[in-house]
Amino acid sequence: MKELTASELARRVLHLFVSLFILLCVTFVIGRVLPADPVGAIVGELADPAAYEAMRTRLGLDLPLYQQFFIYLQGLLRGDFGQAILTGNPVASDMLQAFPATFELATLAIIISAVVGVPLGLAAALFRDSFIDKFARVVSLVGHSIPVFWFGIVGLVIFYATLNWVGGPGRIDVFYEGMVEPVTGMLLVDSLLVGETEIFWNALAHIILPAAILAYMAMAYITRMTRSFTLEQLSQDYVIAARAKGAGPARTVAHHVLPNIAVQLITVLAISYGNLLEGAVVTEIVFSWPGIGQYMTNALMIGDMNAVLAATIIVGFVFMLLNFVADIAYAVLDPRTREVTR
Amino acid sequence: MKHFSKGLIAGAAAIVLSIAAPTLNAATPDDQLVIGTSLAQVLSLDPQQATEAKAIEIMANLYDRLVKTDRSRNIQPQLAERWEIDDKGITFHLREATFASGNPVTADDVVYSLGRLLKMDQAAAANFKRIGYKADNVDRLVRAVDPKTVRIDLSGETTAELLLYRLAMMVASVVDSVEVKNHVDNNDYGNAWLRTNSAGSGPFTLKRWTPNEMVILEANEGYVGGAPHMRRVIVRHVPESQVERLMLERGDIDIASALSAADLKTFEGKQGFEVQRVPTGGFYVLSMNAGNQYLADPKVREAIAYSIDYKGIEQTIMGPYGRARNVPVPEDYEYAIPNPDWHFDAAKAKALLAQAGYPDGFSLSLKTIAQTPRIDLATAIQGSLGQVGIKIDIQQGNGSDIIADHRARNFDLLIPQTGAYMPNVLGSMEQFSSNPDNSKEANNAGNFAWRSAWDIPELTALTAKASLEPDAKKRGELYVEMQKKFVDLKPAVLPLFERFEPIVVNSRVKDYVGHPNQLTRLEGVTKASD
Repeated sequence: MKELTASELARRVLHLFVSLFILLCVTFVIGRVLPADPVGAIVGELADPAAYEAMRTRLGLDLPLYQQFFIYLQGLLRGDFGQAILTGNPVASDMLQAFPATFELATLAIIISAVVGVPLGLAAALFRDSFIDKFARVVSLVGHSIPVFWFGIVGLVIFYATLNWVGGPGRIDVFYEGMVEPVTGMLLVDSLLVGETEIFWNALAHIILPAAILAYMAMAYITRMTRSFTLEQLSQDYVIAARAKGAGPARTVAHHVLPNIAVQLITVLAISYGNLLEGAVVTEIVFSWPGIGQYMTNALMIGDMNAVLAATIIVGFVFMLLNFVADIAYAVLDPRTREVTR
Repeated sequence: MKHFSKGLIAGAAAIVLSIAAPTLNAATPDDQLVIGTSLAQVLSLDPQQATEAKAIEIMANLYDRLVKTDRSRNIQPQLAERWEIDDKGITFHLREATFASGNPVTADDVVYSLGRLLKMDQAAAANFKRIGYKADNVDRLVRAVDPKTVRIDLSGETTAELLLYRLAMMVASVVDSVEVKNHVDNNDYGNAWLRTNSAGSGPFTLKRWTPNEMVILEANEGYVGGAPHMRRVIVRHVPESQVERLMLERGDIDIASALSAADLKTFEGKQGFEVQRVPTGGFYVLSMNAGNQYLADPKVREAIAYSIDYKGIEQTIMGPYGRARNVPVPEDYEYAIPNPDWHFDAAKAKALLAQAGYPDGFSLSLKTIAQTPRIDLATAIQGSLGQVGIKIDIQQGNGSDIIADHRARNFDLLIPQTGAYMPNVLGSMEQFSSNPDNSKEANNAGNFAWRSAWDIPELTALTAKASLEPDAKKRGELYVEMQKKFVDLKPAVLPLFERFEPIVVNSRVKDYVGHPNQLTRLEGVTKASD
């Protein structure tokens, strides 16, 4: 592990931008060669060719590909992501609307999955082949193999339509719609900011099911990885020595195993979080959740490349940022790097 | 450590208790109407731009036109309280009405709106351009006589009656010219602004539109017909049919459209719900490319017409979506002719193919949008054409690529759908019977017959003649002749099923009546208390 110096930091930031640029190029090319027809989407099916061509020119789609890309890059440098066809708004303002919805959902999901998944994985490893281990294995197998679409529908049938425990699809009951001015865009936060606890509870009732389902999917992975990291550590000499000296399982885990698997765990959590932030398209569609995944899918359908590119950049950026944060966390947590920096 | 966690739990419990307990509202509020649907295709709410059915449904409640069509397809007054027709045109007298902004509705607003439609020149303008109203003559033909009187001269390519029907279309909505002119940017006639805002005199105003989430309409208290009963109308984007069904059952939405056939079935005869089949005046069509070597032959097209089990498909697949019909005019329209004797008859179809010189059949591709019920329809057609020796390769795609292929004549067979732009023979049939120039260079991609490369000079002439016939009886005779001619020609645009839009309405909702041109108005809708 390298020491985290200023030059190393600069190198990583540069690396981040180069990766983003490559991502941009690839997405742009794929988007333009797709057979989607954004012009048709705007002018309508029965438009005559003159109106069609006029719109094509207005969108700049008649220019050669490299020129389109160049114009797009120029806009980007000014912080202008262009107009979204779908909404007619600047793409940046659409992102400000869609991203917080996804962020809120993903964050709640990752918290639930870490709080449940890590202890479950630890317990499974400590009590290997016991009931709890078998339970953890079944739980993660199911989480990995059953499609999220099915979970979503079944969850709604049970908890929403039958038991009436949770709110339905959407972020909030229509009754409360438009009652809270968006500040962060996250309803749970915004409602508390203005002291609207009733709205907070309603939003929570709506978010809890999709968040729990996403959390379960992520948890399946987190539990499995935690279990295998722990098992690996438990077979190490230092653990045997600690146990021989009379340390109980709880003490062994807390003082010896956890610090040693922390770095790996952070990677796993960062990857899971990144996956969730990408916008869980299927979950968002099932729960009518107006997040970035649904936004991007709809944009792709009509070939709205400005919107797709912007969403790709944001998702890519989030991924790289998480990587970056995880890298820094390594430097802080890894005892070996700590030695060096001291 | 132990004390700490105890304290933490106690603290958390205190916080939880201090916040009010959660309440889940099972039903929608009595003064709000909630409609579940798919908003994926709604790209604009500018009445002189948007032509998509869902957008029209919303805009119909934001704007008024000079005249409207009622459920029986008759012209009725809306912003014009009366009008006089003479040889040269129509003089409209406006009623006293105001826009939601408070500005009065004047003749200038009408003139501005129609000019705006033609000068913006988007797809929405097509129906007026077809009858001779253009950007360069609209200022001459449409004039304000005084603040409450509008004169519209006939262009020479239409009759007064057909002009009235077009003025009843969504695209002829009257916008608040004072308000719109305040938002003109870069000569765009206020389009960028009006796409996401409203400036009309209808019973509701557009409060908020978040694409792919919801549209919120708010009652226009100053509406000329009195404030509507519903304080708000919320149109929610629910892309998943099964989820929409659950929400309807639970009472979180009052009206569900865009349900799949399977989900619709669960509401049939179910207490507390009513299934409505809203007619569209349009059709599910089998478009054949007459530029294809096989399909150019009318015998082959007739063979195909005899290879489809319309009745069987109607029962098993179309259900609430469609009714078998091979003439592009709904059966209940005035002057509609009875259906020709096309039905599944493998022997006859094979004989026709042999006569055409293809006793062993051939292969064709069939393109369709991957959407209920068209995708199942494609599979059924594949099966029955296979029985007469025509091998079908189905190619699915999303809306934009299939439509682009259709426009570019890049297909053998394709399943598009139509809608009637006005509720009469011409409104439902014109796209099937008019193709003024079939050459590739004409590139008349907005025209269905052109897309199928179907050259029909006589039928086109007949259609044009009917559009100009001022005498109702003579016009009716021409309508009948058009339809007979259409059947005789073994159409390359073969109507399969008349298209309906099935919706499920919670019985709490009263007086929701689906309009045949998607112009359903909601000001009269009330809700019984839960």
